[in-house]
Amino acid sequence: MPQIAKGQRLKNILFILSIIGPGLVTATADNDASGIATYAMVGAMFGYKMLWGLFLITISLAVIQEMAARMGVVTGKGLSDLIREHFGVKMTFFAMITLLIANLTTTIGEFAGIAASLEIFGVSKYISVPLTAIFVWYIINKGSYKKTEKFFLALMVIYISYIISGFLAKPEWKEVFKNTFVPSFSFNSSFILIFIAMIGTTITPWMQFYLQSSVVDKGVDVKNLKYQRWDVFLGAFWTDFIAFFIVVATAATLHKHGIVIETAEDAAKALQPFAGKYASALFAVGLFGASLLGAHILPLSTAYAVTEAFGFENGLNKKMREAPVFYGLILLFIVIGAGVILLPNIPLIKLMIIAQEINGILLPIILIYMLKLTNDKEIMGEYVNSRTFNIIAWITVVFIIILTLILLVEPFLGV
Amino acid sequence: MANVTSFYLSRVIGNKVYSEDKKVLGRLVDLIVDAKNIRPKVIAAKVKSGKNVQIVDFSFFIIYKEKGQYVIETRNLKPIDVQKEDTIMLVKHILDKQIVDMNGRKVVRVNDIRLAILSTGVYVIAVDIGLEGLLRRLGLAKPLKKVLKPLGKSIPSRLILWDDVEPLASPRSDLKLSTTYSKLSTLHPSDLADIIEELDKKTQAYVFSTLDEEKAADVLEELDVEAQRNVLESLPVEKAADLLEKMPADEVADILDEIKEERAEELLNEMEKEASEEVKELMEYPENTVGSIMTTDFIAFKTHFTVEQTIEELRRLKPEPDEIYYLYVVDNEERLCGVVSLRDLVISEPQTPLYEIMSRNVVYVKDMDNVNSLVSIISKYSLLAVPVVDDDKRLIGVVIINDIVYELLKVRKKLV
Repeated sequence: MPQIAKGQRLKNILFILSIIGPGLVTATADNDASGIATYAMVGAMFGYKMLWGLFLITISLAVIQEMAARMGVVTGKGLSDLIREHFGVKMTFFAMITLLIANLTTTIGEFAGIAASLEIFGVSKYISVPLTAIFVWYIINKGSYKKTEKFFLALMVIYISYIISGFLAKPEWKEVFKNTFVPSFSFNSSFILIFIAMIGTTITPWMQFYLQSSVVDKGVDVKNLKYQRWDVFLGAFWTDFIAFFIVVATAATLHKHGIVIETAEDAAKALQPFAGKYASALFAVGLFGASLLGAHILPLSTAYAVTEAFGFENGLNKKMREAPVFYGLILLFIVIGAGVILLPNIPLIKLMIIAQEINGILLPIILIYMLKLTNDKEIMGEYVNSRTFNIIAWITVVFIIILTLILLVEPFLGV
Repeated sequence: MANVTSFYLSRVIGNKVYSEDKKVLGRLVDLIVDAKNIRPKVIAAKVKSGKNVQIVDFSFFIIYKEKGQYVIETRNLKPIDVQKEDTIMLVKHILDKQIVDMNGRKVVRVNDIRLAILSTGVYVIAVDIGLEGLLRRLGLAKPLKKVLKPLGKSIPSRLILWDDVEPLASPRSDLKLSTTYSKLSTLHPSDLADIIEELDKKTQAYVFSTLDEEKAADVLEELDVEAQRNVLESLPVEKAADLLEKMPADEVADILDEIKEERAEELLNEMEKEASEEVKELMEYPENTVGSIMTTDFIAFKTHFTVEQTIEELRRLKPEPDEIYYLYVVDNEERLCGVVSLRDLVISEPQTPLYEIMSRNVVYVKDMDNVNSLVSIISKYSLLAVPVVDDDKRLIGVVIINDIVYELLKVRKKLV
């Protein structure tokens, strides 16, 4: 009965589509303002030289995101809940401080993205940043950010133009392929810093918390775990596919001509082969969408993670006086995030990259918690990590720690 | 050496366990209490020495204070068997976990546990859910208090008596209480629903599955859409269908509209035919029509019934309070022709037929009318319920004021 089989297949596809979502959404949101800036910087400064890193990071990303998603499906709990329940107050406090620092710097990065993108249209940051800060606070308070989320995500589709630009810029494909699979490394601090930033922007601490909560919210059943896995793998691939082309496009245009990225407009130049004189505008719209989404997600997901961990009241359906810590954290993030950008002479692009460096340096801490949890039989039952997953995740952790250590001792070695 | 009468769990966990001659025997990992009694007594301790963890009899333990520190001393480490049923491990099952605060009627996280030392043993008396407990665990409570004292400020602490606490077991934990959630089931369904909504999905389904059917049906009605969906999708089909049969058809129709179509069909098939037919009919009404929110549970009597017969019939049916606002009167073709109030019935002679005392002037709506029209009708005639008829004026349902209020709130929520 071929027809029944066909109907069944359609049903299966619809079913899979209903599960797919959290991974792909998180992954798309991962290419936020700081992400774009970092990838553009990678291409502009070092050409194709870091593509191999991106290739390996994609594997780590897929593995780590899968861990978060699996934890969400199996336990039905958020990451900070699990950390609190299994490590106690002290360790939770440490994890939350890490998350707060990483997320606060990322939030600052998002507001930097807002300022940078609107400066392309000639809007002063002293106007754009306060207005967006108020807008973000308003949308979050109205509880309508879930709807807004889709709109911002749609704006980020603009980054597909990097793929086209990457082709039109006629990169040396032979070089591209060679560098994707053959590692090369420099022991100078700018190379290491940008490399850490690249890891930090691709695999961020906040994503693990955000993804796990989204999976929990979606309420995926354990027996459908394999579909959730596809979603996450697809998401990881998609994030880095875009990232790959941002690096290729900037390498083939900016690096070739020795342009260093100092402003958002410099980063936009990589789109010129595709969009010509509209490159800046196109880039600005995409960057604005990405930054605005990040400026919503980060304060909100941090507030949820921290209040869940310490047992404070939370939730957008509660009033401000019912959940003061929750709303206080959101407000604090928005005020500091926007406030830092308003300081005079702040280098916006640099700030976005510093945020990712901090994310990268702090990432191992969160990853170690995740590894402990996903290997605990009492929590995960039969769904504990496989050996391969453990190896990949640990290599990632150790690699970042080594990079950070090199960074710390390098000034004393005088290399 | 000072005697102590009460102490916090966090102050002793992880401390060394000494023998009487001050030799270190190991470290205290957990305390195990007997949960069968109203006053939970510590019966065993989990002690770790090297890699070896053992559960030992607590009756040989004493706890006292020396130079401001708690000292745990034991005459010997005598292994003891504890039943999983009816014992609770304080660190593993309670500390840092979510519990239900029965008085506050909400889910809270345990920061610390307060124990009392009596002549008969050590007992759990309260859990600490306040900021002070959190800071104490971080080792910050004392220094902060010192700083705040001159300023005349203090750190808020919140203790809940153990009697007002219900531990929550998740499906994966090994906490198995034979008296599972006996306290929870004493709560009002809508309070219980609020609590269940706060839980994670797995625990939600687990707590729900332990409620008895009547309670579960009442709670299911009160849950928000998301929790309803979760519960109906995670309970076994037969159990979920049984619950739905206990609920008014209009509520069921509302819920089934919200869950996956496949699952809804599965549930409808599992339900008794009569009940599911009713639900299916209701589900066919488009949104915003009167039919989509009406209930089909109403009481109607034939015109020739006498007052006596009617009251007799009511005694037999024992209708719910909100079904008895108005008693509708229909002719042999089920067409609506009048309404009788309880008052009319009570004050009339037993042999009077209904058509003599009924009011023929019935305000009604049609099943395909817009929901908005209901509001004006209900407020204009100050009604508690409105009958719903089809095109042939046959009585097919009733809209009760509660459902309209709910509908109005839903619209308002969407606008906000």
